[in-house]
Amino acid sequence: MAFRSSITIVASPRPRVGKTLLARLLTDFHLHQGRQVAAFDLNVGERTLAQFLPEKTTTASIRDTSGQMALFDHLIAYEDITKVIDLGHESFESFFSVAHQIDFIEEACRRSIAVAILFTITPDHTSVDAYRGLRDRFGRATLAPVHNELLGPGQLRDKYPLATGGPGVVRMPALAPGLRRYIERPPFSFADLRAGEAATMSPDPQSELQRWIRRIFLEFRELDLQILLADLRSSIQFRSGT
Amino acid sequence: MARPAVILVGADKGGVGKTTVARTLIDYFGAHQTPTRAFDTESPRGTLKRFHPDLTEVVDVTSVSDQMKIFDTLGSADAKVTVIDVRAGLLSSTLQALTDIGFLESAKKGQITFAVFHILGSSIASLQEIAETARVVGDANYFLVKNFINNTTFFEWDPATYNSYFRKIKGAEEITIPKLNEMAYEQVEVASVPFVSFIGNKAAKGEPANNSFVLRGYVRHWLGNVWGEFDRVKLVDLVSPKIESNVRQVAG
Repeated sequence: MAFRSSITIVASPRPRVGKTLLARLLTDFHLHQGRQVAAFDLNVGERTLAQFLPEKTTTASIRDTSGQMALFDHLIAYEDITKVIDLGHESFESFFSVAHQIDFIEEACRRSIAVAILFTITPDHTSVDAYRGLRDRFGRATLAPVHNELLGPGQLRDKYPLATGGPGVVRMPALAPGLRRYIERPPFSFADLRAGEAATMSPDPQSELQRWIRRIFLEFRELDLQILLADLRSSIQFRSGT
Repeated sequence: MARPAVILVGADKGGVGKTTVARTLIDYFGAHQTPTRAFDTESPRGTLKRFHPDLTEVVDVTSVSDQMKIFDTLGSADAKVTVIDVRAGLLSSTLQALTDIGFLESAKKGQITFAVFHILGSSIASLQEIAETARVVGDANYFLVKNFINNTTFFEWDPATYNSYFRKIKGAEEITIPKLNEMAYEQVEVASVPFVSFIGNKAAKGEPANNSFVLRGYVRHWLGNVWGEFDRVKLVDLVSPKIESNVRQVAG
């Protein structure tokens, strides 16, 4: 692999669009792949990533400088650990404005860390503008739009233009309503369904849940390849001096 | 031979960040490969000397022997640029002394490039100071520096009053030093190294340091903005037109 490790930022300026669920699935996906994972939770309140995956998650805050140091200095540390950030909608603006000021993405690239942003797409202007802002400011990060099918049909192609050669839309299928209650009580790990709430499920719902997880993990695997490709492409460009 | 340049950094009151501005200037000329030396008039302590010990000499600008040390060596020193950090309260009297020794006269004749960085305080007294200093300075390249580095609620002056003073100095330029994150500023203070060394994660002797990436990022961003201001007023052209034109030839 060209990059040593990756940082994935799950982001949206909107609340309640499935960011934490996405971050949970992604963290569990990496664990399932046998990687070392560290997750960072910038949310406050109920049912946060830190509650679902307490052993893997560090609660972070970037409101003051020492919090920013704790988070960003940790993110770019020289270690082979895959990192996932669940960015609460309140932290969206401040996180990316600090990241921009301190040249976070450039520094990560210098240290062979690939950065990807998973952006949950919704039709509102705030999100469309925020997406465009990320594209303009963080050209070196892989920006992947995520369509959460629970939020409705995804006719947003014209609002969320894809980068040429970049990843396509990551599709997050909706989970059948009857199954949601099984995954909504923390702690919960998708990587190991034999533990926790899912162990009490009867065979049929459990296999349906597993099918759902497999579909999402397939999307993540695809995304992983895209990040690898983007990284290879940029390192080739870098070496040929353009 | 290129003309020597003298940059006076001063204010009539303390605590407005003269030394910080002097440090950014030394870093700026360093980045432009312009040999620079500095004089710190805060004898005997010398804050500037703490950050740039190799370039800085602590002097007493009111003593004749030290004046000789600074001004008689202008033509012979290796450094093309001389930055003088004038202690609080000494700006007017230093300028007076410069008139007395005929320094301002040679600056007027174009034998020496002379520039003044006047760091403004937040009080109204600073305005009278401008008028006073302007009278002495005459044709010098006069820069009024608004220093926001560690204070955000700063200039609460009446803009009309301010502008009336500002216009008294022909060709005066305004420079704004933006705010730097407090913790980043403190860490550079503690490290006692030039801003560029802090950004490059180096300690005083050039050995690797262990500064926070976030704080280095803040300092880099801030210094970039400060240098942007220096670029805007074409500071390099001012002190060394020759070097700059060579660079352009090479680049173009």
